[in-house]
Amino acid sequence: MGEEQPVQRRFAIKSIVDVVRARRSGLGIALEMGFHQAEANKIAVVISELGRNIELYAGEGLVTVTKYDDRIEIVAEDQGPGIPDVERVMAGGYTTSQGMGLGVSGSKRLMDEFDIHSIIGQGTTIKAVKWLR
Amino acid sequence: MGVSDEMDALDTLGTSTIQKLENLLLVAVPRDLTDRDVLRLRRQVLTAIRQHRSRWVLLDFSRVDICDSFFGRFIQSTAKMADLMGAEVVVAGLQDAVVETMVDLGMTLPGVHAVLDLDDALALSRTGSRGSAGVEEQGPSRSTGSSWDGGSEWLDHDSDKTMGVDTSYTHTFSSSLTGK
Repeated sequence: MGEEQPVQRRFAIKSIVDVVRARRSGLGIALEMGFHQAEANKIAVVISELGRNIELYAGEGLVTVTKYDDRIEIVAEDQGPGIPDVERVMAGGYTTSQGMGLGVSGSKRLMDEFDIHSIIGQGTTIKAVKWLR
Repeated sequence: MGVSDEMDALDTLGTSTIQKLENLLLVAVPRDLTDRDVLRLRRQVLTAIRQHRSRWVLLDFSRVDICDSFFGRFIQSTAKMADLMGAEVVVAGLQDAVVETMVDLGMTLPGVHAVLDLDDALALSRTGSRGSAGVEEQGPSRSTGSSWDGGSEWLDHDSDKTMGVDTSYTHTFSSSLTGK
């Protein structure tokens, strides 16, 4: 049986209000898909952390939430400055902002799959997946 | 569903309330705060502490269903600032799904007490002075009650870190872990 055509929602991120709106929608989508409240909550927090990073470092970008039969995929992309030291950011505790330095490293822990693709001066794309169990 | 519908459904700062109840400030934290709202709410809380001479602040999180690291930092910084004013921040009503995310995210909130509900918060605020709260889980370093009793304690802590609240709780927490 082939996979159903995925349903996609795109959220343009330009301000924190956009982030708040995206995470609220993301929570609803995850719950609708049958994720447990705690899992849906994690997905919403990941949208919030990644969306916040877009707003903070790139100024603007896009968060895309894609529903598949068996998983949800969050893609956060921007054309900002890029992450100079991906390993350090992944390790956590590193921040140049007002957060706790947990945004990226913490988001990785909350999801099943997590990939960062970042090029200095060109931008960053982060893809995070959580499987329905 | 239109974007404007979703915006209408957001639970923002306009709906937050700060009420005085005995010597407790009761803060109903809204669900959907922007960063600017979060900072504004923190200032409102600090102003209210001074206005009402409240020794206890209860942050009621029962409406909050998404708590990211910025929110966590808000709880932490509000507690530190309130401590410098002579008030203690207590958190209540964190949802089970929310705490699971907070812990998995790696958020730790040293120095922040949590209680189950308003009744427990009121009971806590009635039992003695601030600083002796939750005495059963505290080690000897704070057993003398309020931080003001031990001038030397302040100095000791100052040498490690400037924020008294952080070190004192970290100390007592680790000492209770090691059973000393």
